[in-house]
Amino acid sequence: MSGRYEGKVAVVTGASRGIGHLLVEYLLGEGAQVAGISRGEVTDAPEGYTHYAVDVTDARAVQMAFARMARGHGRVDIVINNAAVLTSQYAMIMPAANAQAMVDINLLGTFYVTREAAKLMRKAGKGRIINIGSMAASLEPIGDSLYAATKAGVSTMAAVFSKEFSTFNVTCNTIGVTAIPTDMLAQHDRAVIDAIIERLPVPRYAEPDDIFNVVDFFASDRSSYITAQTVFLGGVTA
Amino acid sequence: MTAVLTGSQIEELILGALNDVNEEQPEDERIEVGPNTPLFGPDAQIDSLALVSVIVDVETALNVDYDLPISLTDDRAMTREISPFDDVQTLKDYIVELVAEQA
Repeated sequence: MSGRYEGKVAVVTGASRGIGHLLVEYLLGEGAQVAGISRGEVTDAPEGYTHYAVDVTDARAVQMAFARMARGHGRVDIVINNAAVLTSQYAMIMPAANAQAMVDINLLGTFYVTREAAKLMRKAGKGRIINIGSMAASLEPIGDSLYAATKAGVSTMAAVFSKEFSTFNVTCNTIGVTAIPTDMLAQHDRAVIDAIIERLPVPRYAEPDDIFNVVDFFASDRSSYITAQTVFLGGVTA
Repeated sequence: MTAVLTGSQIEELILGALNDVNEEQPEDERIEVGPNTPLFGPDAQIDSLALVSVIVDVETALNVDYDLPISLTDDRAMTREISPFDDVQTLKDYIVELVAEQA
């Protein structure tokens, strides 16, 4: 490990599982102080990790979590908006509650977290906001109408945030992640996903390091001129 | 624990935020800051982004420094007959009201 994030404070949403958990471990390993957000409590927090049991769809709870972070850490350097849910289902039989959850968590959750982070980053005069998007936004797979729309929306939000936040040196970018073996993926028909993967320019599942690589790029102090971008993994194009 | 804030402390917070924003402006665009400085509307001398900065700075101070779970821009603020953002006094009065509700 290089200590790339030594002295940095990073926030990861959806921190307890899947890509979020992998990101927490990576950032801690690289020396960051990490504030993880998820709905559940965490019992054995590793050194350098502070957990905030917060529902990202609760605007007031998110606001006060960032106030606690400001008191505890003094600032926030990097935010990774990872919290998301996916129900893949034909639109005509998609349960309304699942549809609502995708909009609430994937879109509104990203919005609430980003705006609170931006308030702190504005005072510091710098910051990096990174959204975890999806190949679904570009590939538009059957069953993912709403999920794909929310992930496309995340990229669009990042583009608008970029304009609003550029005056105080805060960038906002999105990683269009391809399928990666996590618990979220395990809930879905592997044969369907295999068929999508086979058609990618780089026909393999993503590895955690593929994501970390783009996170490093977007989070770098040298990337102050990189904003409003979506980088897709695996050769997926916008 | 929620801290108690007086009206004059709240006014200081607002004027501090206004002064901070003022200092970010070019010298010839700086405004006179005082208890009656207009913030919004035809008499306002600050632009919308500066007003956003003032609101965010005051709200963040209330959240972070005083542990007050207050949002200055919820529906209630937006639907009042007299906007809380008209001038320093209306903003102060609105915050005094919100702080009193937290006590």
